Amino acid sequence: MSSRRSRSRQSSGSRITDDQIIDLVSKLQQLIPELRGRRSDKVSASKVLQETCNYIRNLHRKVDGLSDRLSQLLASTETDSDQAAIIRSLLME
Amino acid sequence: MASFIPNLESAPDTCPEFKRRKRRTTDEKPASFHSHQRNQRIKRWRTQREQHIYSSKLIQALRRSRRTSSAAKEVHETADIVLAVLAKGTTRWSKAILTARKMARHKKAKVAANTRLRKPAVSREKRKTPVVQRKLKVLGRLVPGCRKLSFPNLLEETSDYIAALEMQVRAMTAITEFLAGSGPQPPADRLASNVNS
Repeated sequence: MSSRRSRSRQSSGSRITDDQIIDLVSKLQQLIPELRGRRSDKVSASKVLQETCNYIRNLHRKVDGLSDRLSQLLASTETDSDQAAIIRSLLME
Repeated sequence: MASFIPNLESAPDTCPEFKRRKRRTTDEKPASFHSHQRNQRIKRWRTQREQHIYSSKLIQALRRSRRTSSAAKEVHETADIVLAVLAKGTTRWSKAILTARKMARHKKAKVAANTRLRKPAVSREKRKTPVVQRKLKVLGRLVPGCRKLSFPNLLEETSDYIAALEMQVRAMTAITEFLAGSGPQPPADRLASNVNS
């Protein structure tokens, strides 16, 4: 970490050690449910990155599906003011 | 009623001075500051309270935009924007989402922005294998506004982004289930059973 230098606003150009990479990759691994339990020396950096990308894409897809569902539900509710008030009051316990 | 938004993050990283400094320079601060920051970040997006706040803000926003259109794409955009607003400008991905929205209204500016983003980054990280480099690039494209970040910064953005997305999924799922449940039936009865279950 002492090898980092402050340059321009662009963050390229800093030298990163291999150890740093290993450390960061293992941290990333902990965020991915699929890889969380596995030992970090058993999972390659490339695999961690791949799974991270897959996971994010998965989450995006879920939100897409939920947005679709929500838009249908919202379109079908006529008295939205009543329901929205109920939802809000429930959520604000 | 809506003006109860608590100050979720009173941590120093939201004050303007800190924002002006680059994230990399946090290494020069004392350890106690680091661990405090880290704890704040770990809790972020994961509390019930934040989820409730997000849900209520999302519903408000959806109600407002409902008059124009309630297409799936709009809902998704609204959900992302409310999420980005909740981040309070502390992360690059959230700023990118809000900027993209602004840019979309001025098409010229958007083209200029894309051109800027497409410039190749000068990279000295030759120690990473090409495979890892490639995947990093893909990751950088998935997280909004993070195409040119170094690995450590990209990682930080990614972890925050993932936590935020997970909360988004939880919140929208809850809202959907609730709306679906109370749709066809009279709200009063359904609510009672939902609350008790």
